[in-house]
Amino acid sequence: MTKTVVLLCNCFGEIGGVLPLEEIAGKLRESGDGLSVHVLPSLCMDQDAERMGTLLRDEGADSVVAGGCPSPARRETLRRALGNAGIDPARCAHVDLREGCAWIHRNDPAGAARKAADLLAMGLASLEERGASSDVWTEVRPECLVIGAGPAGLAAASALARRGVTTHLVERSAQAGGMMNLLSRVYPGNEDGKSRIAPGLRELEENPRIVFHPRSRVLSVKGFAGDFKVLVQTADGPLHLRTGAVVVATGAGVFLPAKMYRYGELKQVITLMELERQWIRGIGDRKRFVFIQCVGARCPERPYCSTICCPSSLKNAVRVMEEIPGGEATVLHRDIMTPGAVLERYYRKAMETGVRFVRFREDAPPEVTGSETVEGVRFRDAAGGKAWALPADAVVLATPLVPGMDNRSLKDLLGIELDGHGFFAETYPLHPLETRMDGIFIAGSARWPVSSEQAAAQGEGAAVKALGILGQGRVSALSLSRVPGRKLGHGRVEDGSCTGCGNCVAVCPFLACSLQDTGNGRLVSRVNKMRCKACGNCVSVCPNGTMQIPEHNYRMVGAMIRKAFSE
Amino acid sequence: METASERSGGKPVKILVFACRWCGGIGAERAGWKRADLPASFRVIPVECAALVEPDAVFRALAAGIDGVAVLGCHVGGCRYDEANHAALKRMELLKVLLDTVGIGGERLCLAFGTAHEDHQFAAVMGDFHRLLQGMPPLAPWTGGGDEDSPRSVGT
Amino acid sequence: MKEIRDMSRELLERQAVDGVLGLRRGAYDIVEPHVFRDPGETSLLVTEPKWPLAKTAMKVLRDAPEGFRLAVVARGCDERALSELAKRNQVRDRNLRIIGVACTEARAKECLCDRPYPREIHGGTQEPGVDPFEDPRVRALLEGDSRERMNRWASLLRRCIKCYGCRNACPICVCVPCKLEDEIWVEKGSIPAEMLVFHLIRAFHLSDTCVACGACQEACPVFIPLLSLQLAMRRTLKEEYGYEPGMERDRRSPVLRNIFEEPGTRKSVPAWVSSGEHEHD
Repeated sequence: MTKTVVLLCNCFGEIGGVLPLEEIAGKLRESGDGLSVHVLPSLCMDQDAERMGTLLRDEGADSVVAGGCPSPARRETLRRALGNAGIDPARCAHVDLREGCAWIHRNDPAGAARKAADLLAMGLASLEERGASSDVWTEVRPECLVIGAGPAGLAAASALARRGVTTHLVERSAQAGGMMNLLSRVYPGNEDGKSRIAPGLRELEENPRIVFHPRSRVLSVKGFAGDFKVLVQTADGPLHLRTGAVVVATGAGVFLPAKMYRYGELKQVITLMELERQWIRGIGDRKRFVFIQCVGARCPERPYCSTICCPSSLKNAVRVMEEIPGGEATVLHRDIMTPGAVLERYYRKAMETGVRFVRFREDAPPEVTGSETVEGVRFRDAAGGKAWALPADAVVLATPLVPGMDNRSLKDLLGIELDGHGFFAETYPLHPLETRMDGIFIAGSARWPVSSEQAAAQGEGAAVKALGILGQGRVSALSLSRVPGRKLGHGRVEDGSCTGCGNCVAVCPFLACSLQDTGNGRLVSRVNKMRCKACGNCVSVCPNGTMQIPEHNYRMVGAMIRKAFSE
Repeated sequence: METASERSGGKPVKILVFACRWCGGIGAERAGWKRADLPASFRVIPVECAALVEPDAVFRALAAGIDGVAVLGCHVGGCRYDEANHAALKRMELLKVLLDTVGIGGERLCLAFGTAHEDHQFAAVMGDFHRLLQGMPPLAPWTGGGDEDSPRSVGT
Repeated sequence: MKEIRDMSRELLERQAVDGVLGLRRGAYDIVEPHVFRDPGETSLLVTEPKWPLAKTAMKVLRDAPEGFRLAVVARGCDERALSELAKRNQVRDRNLRIIGVACTEARAKECLCDRPYPREIHGGTQEPGVDPFEDPRVRALLEGDSRERMNRWASLLRRCIKCYGCRNACPICVCVPCKLEDEIWVEKGSIPAEMLVFHLIRAFHLSDTCVACGACQEACPVFIPLLSLQLAMRRTLKEEYGYEPGMERDRRSPVLRNIFEEPGTRKSVPAWVSSGEHEHD
């Protein structure tokens, strides 16, 4: 026998000044058999928690309808009151009588009163029909998987290992370091790529908690946050792992400017990456370098700025001026992107060392001249419109970072999405480094083109987020909410009525539904509670109402609709 | 402003609003903070996400004598549940087509996927929807449907 | 139709299939669906009248032993319906084979069918389809003043005697239990059906899966033009997503997929942008 108590908040006159609360309370008492209704001056003051708790306990209440403001602060006091009275917070319906009623219908008190009565009736109806989802718990596996051993992956693995987490670092190539291995110098300093990530490499070598798997690939990842079942193909054969979280730090590729600016056709038209290799092997006797920016970037096919190409070109241009006797560097650009104080200083330094900067218009790109090898570059200066012809020994094309080749297959493997450009999609908004799958995080250029220091910072960030799961011994499905607090509930399948149509499987953004064979050829949907976020798509596409979220089932909605307008 | 819910013809306008917990609900709350002046013709059922609004609930609402249903969700691309609102938006748009087919009018389903933390937008959407429904004929030929009707006759 | 009889006999003779589902003209010229097992029986196979066999095929396969291979004498609409049923896991189409029958022009005109033939035609000649939107009766129902149309549809649907014939005949409607029999949605004992609820729920459940076979309105004893409820939604799906239910076995409804995968005519997913046409105060 349920005992429901209705608490109406006067809000020190904010609500009571517009709504005739005593009248509404009176009507409610008459309508429901034995419905207890109290009008209180406030529900959110400190002393209210105890007062309400006592009241509810004395009345033997097990359900509450609280009409007042929708403020979270008030809900906190209510929660304490419910706790005092031993009432399950799920048995409390909140009705917004202030922002949603009193404050917006001040000029229609009669209408507002009717609305308030209706809203409370809806709240009561929702309590009657509301169900409760059952929770499941999973033991959290204490280990973590990091895919990719570039600066982001190394930083993540180091951060995890230093906090005592055994981390499996899976790397496609034979050595750690990623793109850092290819750079002879990293801006804005003078160290080479390997030196920049020396701390990470040292941690890798010295910390036994990092288990390094070079020449390995991830073949499959199944499961859910807290318990991922991973299969890795290592150099020594297949390896089965169970980890609590996954960090994807697979980096990016570099765009190859085929047929642009006569690349591939003319000798000495090279990319920035090739220039790095040439610094290492020997720069030869070339003196006059022309850098062209935004090659294959900020165009319709790749409408983004790749962050690192301007600083890279500046780094190389300065090096040309400082290390090559008689060296000349010219940077042909559409814009120079050097945000922040350090990079701004770097830009000015480049100008001071004598690097020339000329802006060209997007619709009038430079032309590289020469028959077998580069002879010069013709361009038109965007400011004055003047045409120039500059002799050159080499033309260096600054190309953007592009999504890694494996992104498509990895995304299917992991069940995460790619964004419109092909990089791994971050779940948006307000959840940096997270993907749509709980427990799978992204860092570094796999997520978006960044410098190595930003990649390292993100790697640490992803590690800390992973620790959010790894640090718990057990995790419950209802606690895996995208937002603070508890999940609404889970999708639930009424076994006997599922037709196995698979609509829910197709529509779920979290891949939480799957069809299982019941044995006699019938397929029935099953919800993975750890993945389900209770968004409700499955419910809306189920043809016969089999799939429901108990906390918001169709009976409840039907009842609320019937009570919405009393006249 | 003229008293709230009256419509030309006398019967007050009735609107059912499904507001998602995020953009929809927060937009509504902010309208309250700003003390926007709105007609008392709508009732809100909060939902976790616009994806949780079953199409059948829209029909149920119209059958119960409600004049219009508003579904407020987040921007496409800004849903807290990733792409959940993509399917929801497509579904609701197709629902409008069906309502248009039978002459009930797709306008009776108001979709505002993008009512972000923008209080002026909530107020504007509700105000406009109310005025729109005031000018529309009642759904009586549809919601009458009972034994009290005139004898069934086969024929156009 | 001779080609169809011949093909059925031949398939059974060389045991390429275990049974052929088609229409049999038996004693007293009574025509009914029949699963032909014996090649000799196929002399009784006929292809008229129009008899939607998709649902029957589904039931035959469901009750048949594992591995039973069935051929179905199917018109264009039957094939589309079977495709949709297969997508929804109601039919194991591995064991299904289509014996295709193309419809005559007269039949296409009667059904207002825009594709009166299956993918492979084994009998009959391919006739051009008919655009239902050219038909004046359809236009009266789907175009023009909305108030008039509302009254017109209301008076049509008010004839409904809730026989559930439309639901029973529809090859896609296979849910057990069916929402239309649930008291919460449709009141029992109320005739005519609460039109909004019964017919619009049914129409919307089929929004992205109706194959326009017309079985619903053929089954309706009071001649409600039920197919016209679906036509505008079908047209929207075609224009926005290039999607026609039943035509692509491996493509699920675009309404179920997100905008990256099935963008339709939407150009892109905007990033977090501010919208709203109204100004701040």
